Amino acid sequence: MPPAGIPPSRALPSKESGLFKEVLHYYEDRQLKKGLKTADAILKKFPNHGETMCMKGLILTHMGRRDEGLELVKQGVRLDLTSHICWHVFGLIQKGQKNYEEALKSYTQALRFDKDNMNILRDAAHLQTQLRHYDALVETRHTLLRLRPQLRQNWIALAVAYHLNGNLTETKNVLEQFERIVKNVPDYDVEMSEILLYHVRVLEELGAYTEALVLLDTSAKSRAIIDRVAIMEFRARMLSKVGSEDAQQAWQGLIEQNPGCYDYYKGFLANRGVDLDAITDETRAPALQALRDFSQQFPRAATPQRIALAIAAGDEFQELLEPYLRTRLEKGVPSLFTDLKALYRTPQKRDTIESVAQGLLDALAHPPDAPCPPSIDPTTYVWTLYFLAQHYSHLGQHARALALLDTALAHTPTLPELYLFRGRVLKRAGDPYGAARWVDQARLLDLQDRFLNARCGKYRLRAGLIEEAVEVFGLFTKKDAPSPSQDLEDMQSLLYLTEEADAQLRNGNYAMALKKYIAIQKVFDDFEDDQFDFHGYSVRKFTVNIYLNLLKWEDTLRSHPAYVHAAIEASRILVRLHDEPSLASKSASQSHLSDAEKKAKKKAKKAEKKVQEEAKKAGNSTNEDKGLDASPVKDEDPDGTKLLQAPEPLERAAKLLKPLATLAENNIEAWVATYDVSVRRKKYLRALQALSRAHALDADSPELHIRVVDFKRRWSSLSEKPSETVASAVTSALSKLLPDEISLELFNSQYLQQHSSRGAAVLAAAKVSRSLGAPREEVESILFNVLNADVELDFETAAAINAFLLEIQSPREDEFRTASQQKFALSTLFAPRAELPQLRKSAVQKEITEGEEVKEEIIS
Amino acid sequence: MNIRLARVDDLLGMQACNLQNLPENYTLKYYLYHALTWPQLSYVAEEDGKIVGYILAKMEEDVQEGDEPHGHVTSISVLRSYRRLGLAKRLMIQSQEAMATVYKAAYVSLHVRKSNRAALGLYRDTLGFTVKDIEKSYYADGEDAYAMRLSLKHLAR
Repeated sequence: MPPAGIPPSRALPSKESGLFKEVLHYYEDRQLKKGLKTADAILKKFPNHGETMCMKGLILTHMGRRDEGLELVKQGVRLDLTSHICWHVFGLIQKGQKNYEEALKSYTQALRFDKDNMNILRDAAHLQTQLRHYDALVETRHTLLRLRPQLRQNWIALAVAYHLNGNLTETKNVLEQFERIVKNVPDYDVEMSEILLYHVRVLEELGAYTEALVLLDTSAKSRAIIDRVAIMEFRARMLSKVGSEDAQQAWQGLIEQNPGCYDYYKGFLANRGVDLDAITDETRAPALQALRDFSQQFPRAATPQRIALAIAAGDEFQELLEPYLRTRLEKGVPSLFTDLKALYRTPQKRDTIESVAQGLLDALAHPPDAPCPPSIDPTTYVWTLYFLAQHYSHLGQHARALALLDTALAHTPTLPELYLFRGRVLKRAGDPYGAARWVDQARLLDLQDRFLNARCGKYRLRAGLIEEAVEVFGLFTKKDAPSPSQDLEDMQSLLYLTEEADAQLRNGNYAMALKKYIAIQKVFDDFEDDQFDFHGYSVRKFTVNIYLNLLKWEDTLRSHPAYVHAAIEASRILVRLHDEPSLASKSASQSHLSDAEKKAKKKAKKAEKKVQEEAKKAGNSTNEDKGLDASPVKDEDPDGTKLLQAPEPLERAAKLLKPLATLAENNIEAWVATYDVSVRRKKYLRALQALSRAHALDADSPELHIRVVDFKRRWSSLSEKPSETVASAVTSALSKLLPDEISLELFNSQYLQQHSSRGAAVLAAAKVSRSLGAPREEVESILFNVLNADVELDFETAAAINAFLLEIQSPREDEFRTASQQKFALSTLFAPRAELPQLRKSAVQKEITEGEEVKEEIIS
Repeated sequence: MNIRLARVDDLLGMQACNLQNLPENYTLKYYLYHALTWPQLSYVAEEDGKIVGYILAKMEEDVQEGDEPHGHVTSISVLRSYRRLGLAKRLMIQSQEAMATVYKAAYVSLHVRKSNRAALGLYRDTLGFTVKDIEKSYYADGEDAYAMRLSLKHLAR
């Protein structure tokens, strides 16, 4: 639509028109004070000049007066709806607020009134990319190219736009045209090299391998492409694809250049017809031969030897294992067990490793009281003990692992790894307090090591000792940060945020737990925003290949386990809030800030006051450009109560879970969480779909069983079913999960019978029984069956059963707890509640011996 | 164990590795800046999908008058549980080769804490770096740094 004639309110007499041009210049040079003054001069005479108002608003925003600025810009736009300047300014502000959808609308409006404005077009292109509007992006890039075909980036940007929009053929055409007309390319130009590599990649994706190879080889020879590794990788891959004889040498060259790269060996062997992931009896021998040759050629490289271990079998495996194990035990390689762990999937290999390692240990064993005989290397001895401890713990034989570690500790009390692993074994055995204490001992051996510090902090969080954990983390966080937690959050430590959130949740502090899970969500929002600047940057730098990979990564960003976990846990809290709204107010009254948090709050308040005072002083007299990016939000909810009390918990939960439907579709917990939210939002079909997806993943899942019953009960009790279509869809889908004719009690007892040997399933059946109104004694007797020897029960499930017995106020809870303590002798999770304070204290005790004394008191 | 070029999907793992090992940390955007400006220079050591070691490298942006192009190691670290495998050395060598080949770097520089004997041993004794300078209070906690340098002329093609 052609722009309307310039409205009378836009035209300015020559004096003010000149002033307006000055305002624009001042803004461009960021001379904000002058710009403001000049804008005010115009507005004095022409108070309704929309464009000046917008410019003033823009300048104010840059000066930090953001709310004022935004208001003014909005006013200015309203006063001059056909001004491209007004819409452009509005778009800039919205972009700064990360409100990309709205910003693009503003930019689109601006383009209606000035369709060939390069600045607006470029910004629009970046927004279109961010929002994945690739059709529009292609058009915009075409326009930019038409306007300035001499600019190389405009060609590349168009090629990239076609690529993103799925049109590889056009991408290829643009690149070919570009290469034909480009002039004056300097020798050894990195940018041109990247462009050509991009072209090769496009050809590879089109399946035009021969053409790609020709371009690659010519460019490599003329040194137009200068990235040697990239050249070699492309060559090897494509020569293999076309079945060329030269492929083998190409892979060989890659291995020579980097003998530690697993992918190169995989490619080399694949080229020879050997699939490393699907070894057969025929392919095994030639593969092992090749790996033997490589091992000889590169004696220092572990990779070929390790691959050989993966594919060898029987006696040959043992022959290869012995020297591999021995060298690393002699050297004292801490990661040896982790390295070999994957082999344990094959039981024979696991057994061979055990017998070889045990054999080595037997040869090294000597009486503990006597000094180490000269024939025995103490290093090898300790590391062999360490390895076997890891081995046995992995197989669930924790007591045996502990005994080995104790021997090692007596021998070499200064090795942090031993303390670390002892803690880990205790963690696996269900003693988080002992675990934390031992890991702390490791930390004390090397206070300069952040890794040990982080482990200690993590283990304290696992033991629910949040303040003590923060104290430890604080030894390595920035001293000028408001608190250690804040620093770790600012540095986007997903590990820390997850562990703290989980710890708060375990401690029953829903407000703080939710706060931290939402913090994780915010971190991912920041990750998503991070790509924005690169839409322009990467095109200017011509690093197109990795830029395209960035966009791809961003598309599946929230499949990251940290996001998935945070979304699921947060949604669970929000569902609980919906079911028990009193939780929110209870949490508020309970909320007490710990000493450390109070200190941090005070510090933050002081700092903020200082900033405000400085800003006031400087505010009106500064030219300081604060940019357009939204200022960092102050933490106005330090104990999370506001978040907990915020309205519409279910809607918030649904929003958190939304990405998981596509990005975590094989995660049964995600579907269960989705069910819980959907059914409460009365979206019955969606809820049932979630159950069907869960069912497809694991039909016997205990959590699923609970929900199937839950759904049937909710559905049956609906006085008014939603529409006919929904009702019939539900009936048919439900019948696949739960036979219509039988009662829920029968369905549940059938499930119980079928899965009576699985502790978690028994718990689920008991919960269902309870919800169906079974008497408490009946529920109790179901649960007590898990203590039988033939039932598969881990301590986590036992603890969950314990918690459930408490919940139903069972008089037999103590009985169960005592029985669990007997079954899980090393665990401290079943200690009498009165002992908890002492256990917590012992976890941060300085000396191990002190702790042991305390424990003895408890037992007697 | 896999030693290879860092990819975009490795960056979060590198960040996590860095946070566990070193007090000098960065937001993801800084890692993205490195990867999207000098995609050939950063390498990772990966085991079973986990990043256990990395080198984050770049070419120096502010080149002084008369100075040659040179590379810079922003950060390098290996998880404690994966030491004694020579990973740091291999990561460094891969990165240096790329600096020399792609960017014609004449030398590579880095900073190391005066008190970090292990790192000093790696750079000086194993890799051949020399101390160029002492930068006072280089680190946020006030500690001095050795500014070290290694010539890459031997890698020129």
